[in-house]
Amino acid sequence: MTPDALDALRLPIVPVVPRQEFAAALLRRIEERAGPVVRQTATVRYFVTDLDAAVAFYCRNLDFDEELRPSPVFAMLYRGDLRLLLSVPGGQGGAHTLPDGTVPEPGGWNRISLEVADLVATVDALRERRVRFRTDVVTGVAVRQILLEDPSGNLVELFEPRAGYHERPRG
Amino acid sequence: MVAIYHLALPQVYGYLLPRCGNAALAEDLTAETFVAAVGATRKGLVPNVNVAWLVGIARHKLVDYWRRAAREQRSLALVENDSEGVADPWEEWLDAEVAHAALSRLPPPQRAALTLRYLDGLPVADVASHLGRSLRATETLLARARAALRRIYVEEGGP
Repeated sequence: MTPDALDALRLPIVPVVPRQEFAAALLRRIEERAGPVVRQTATVRYFVTDLDAAVAFYCRNLDFDEELRPSPVFAMLYRGDLRLLLSVPGGQGGAHTLPDGTVPEPGGWNRISLEVADLVATVDALRERRVRFRTDVVTGVAVRQILLEDPSGNLVELFEPRAGYHERPRG
Repeated sequence: MVAIYHLALPQVYGYLLPRCGNAALAEDLTAETFVAAVGATRKGLVPNVNVAWLVGIARHKLVDYWRRAAREQRSLALVENDSEGVADPWEEWLDAEVAHAALSRLPPPQRAALTLRYLDGLPVADVASHLGRSLRATETLLARARAALRRIYVEEGGP
C-alpha cells in the first residue's frame, strides 16, 4: 500500500468567484439574519437647560469630547465607550414635550458613573474649578465615590475601584 | 460576518466547487455555510471569524451532504461495492485529474473519506471525527475506498 501516491489528490483552495446573482442574494440573506450591528457604545441622555454651559462643563471637567452639535438644543459627547446625549427639554425627538404637556427636566438622582484612577486628586482639581458636589467622598462596597452636579443639576458619580471591585471582563 | 463576506465567499465556494463537482450543489452548500456561520456568531460562540473557520464549516456541510446522499442511496437499495481485502496497488505516479474524476463516481461514504483524507489532507483521526466513525472503521472505509477508486481509475484509463 502506498498511500503517498494518493497525496497527489491534494486540492489546495483556489478562490472561485460564484455567480453575481447568487453572491448578492446570499449577502442579502445573511444581512437579514445578522440583524443590526451590535454596538459596544452605551448611550445615556441628559436633559440640560443651557447647552453651551453643559458641553463646556463635560468637556473641560470630565474628559468628554464633543462629537456633534447640530442644533442649539442637542449635542453628542463621547468619553471612551460612553456616548452622552445632551438635550434641551421641549425640542424635537428625544426631548419632546408629551401630549399632556409634560416636559422632560434635568435633575433627579439617577446618574452616569465614571471611573477615575485617583478620586481624591480628581475631586481636589474639580473643587478648584468650582464644580458643585452634592456629597463628600464616601466609601461604598468595593468603591469610593462622590456625587457632583452639572450646571443644570444633573448628577454625575465619580468612583475609584477598591478591593473586591467587579466588572465583567472584556472580550 | 458581513464584513468578511466578500473576502471569504470565493474561498468557501472555491473549496466546495471542485469537491462537489457541480455548481448548483456548491452554491447550496456555500449558502448553508454562511447561514450557519451567521447563526453561530449571533450566539456569540465564535472568538475568531475568519476564512479558515468558514472553510471548516463548509467541510462539515459537505460531509453532511454526503451523509444524506448515502441514506438516500441506501433507501434505493443500492449496494456498496465491498472491496475489503483487495490489494491496493497504487503506482508511485498518479494522474490526479483522472483520479479526481474517478472519485466522483464512488459511493458517498467512500468519496467523503477520500476527500477529507487526501484532497483536504486531514489526519485519519480527523477524518473519523468528521464522519462520526471509529478510527478502525475509518481505516477500513479508507482501504475500501482506495481499492474502489483504483478500480474505476484503471477503467478510466489511468496508468
